[in-house]
Amino acid sequence: MNDDRIDGYARGLFEIARAEGTIDRVEDELYRFARAYEGNEQLRNALSDQGIPAARRQTIVEDLLGGKATGTTVQLVSMVVGSGRASELPAIIDRVVARASGAKNLEVAEVRTAVPLTGDQETRLAAALQKATGKSINLKVVVDPAVIGGVVATIGDTVIDGSVRSRIEQLKSRL
Amino acid sequence: MSIMNLLISAGGELHYDDKGVVTHNPILPETPEIIWGGLASIIIFLLLAKFAGPQIKKAMAGRTARIQKELDSAADDQASASKEAADIRQAKGDIAAERARILAEAESQAASVLAEGRARLATELAELETKAQSEIAASANRVGDELRAEVARLSIAAVDHVVTGSLDTATHQELIENFITRVGASR
Repeated sequence: MNDDRIDGYARGLFEIARAEGTIDRVEDELYRFARAYEGNEQLRNALSDQGIPAARRQTIVEDLLGGKATGTTVQLVSMVVGSGRASELPAIIDRVVARASGAKNLEVAEVRTAVPLTGDQETRLAAALQKATGKSINLKVVVDPAVIGGVVATIGDTVIDGSVRSRIEQLKSRL
Repeated sequence: MSIMNLLISAGGELHYDDKGVVTHNPILPETPEIIWGGLASIIIFLLLAKFAGPQIKKAMAGRTARIQKELDSAADDQASASKEAADIRQAKGDIAAERARILAEAESQAASVLAEGRARLATELAELETKAQSEIAASANRVGDELRAEVARLSIAAVDHVVTGSLDTATHQELIENFITRVGASR
């Protein structure tokens, strides 16, 4: 899919979510779904397989997100998958999140941790990142066991790596 | 009986056969026969001395000259042979000198070849020794590298295992809190 098409889908999803008045929650749910989609090969294969009928793929999405996300989020993801653009779903969603953050003059900060953060930790981490970068932060937390421990924060091109994985990699390289 | 006695006794008597024919001395001829025979012999001798003597002398002189010529030729041959012998002896001496020179040159060349061979051998030995030492050092380094790599691999596996196994909830929270504190303290 070319960049214009990705941007077109992103603009469409963003406008629908904003029209529904749930943009903050929807973009957060979309972001989490996109990361889950990237980290699960079986899910990627199932949703991007053109041999599976679109209705079946959409049913998979509804089964996965039903009761866990807003109806808007489920419908938006289902629409993208049903139109055969599942493989571009992470790129479309990232564009939606960036557009939503831009609308609020926020910078997306992707934070990966091995265990979930508490609400208090998310608030303090957002404040710390804001202080460190001088930008208003739209914090997106992704639970990623590959981090092993600690935190990896990515804000634009800046990466602040405090993960155990990176320390182990440094130790390995020294060994 | 001696021959003289036979001659004396034969001259003193005649012998007759059964028919009365006188038989003379069986050894000595008759006296006239002796006289005429002697004269004829003298004449023949004189004729031979007159006519054959010069020829004989000439033949003898020719023979003498031929013999002298042969003697002279033999002397020349002897001188020539002596000269040739001297030449041969000289040549033999030259051959000996040449042989000595060739032997000396051969010995010199052999010594040179031997020295070069020893030098080349020493160089090759030194190169082989250097190469062997280099290979030994490389092997030692390679073994050391392999050992270090194996230790590192085992250490890495141990680190993964130990670190992953030792991360409990409290440690996770401590790591997160440390990160928040460190990021907040920056700038």
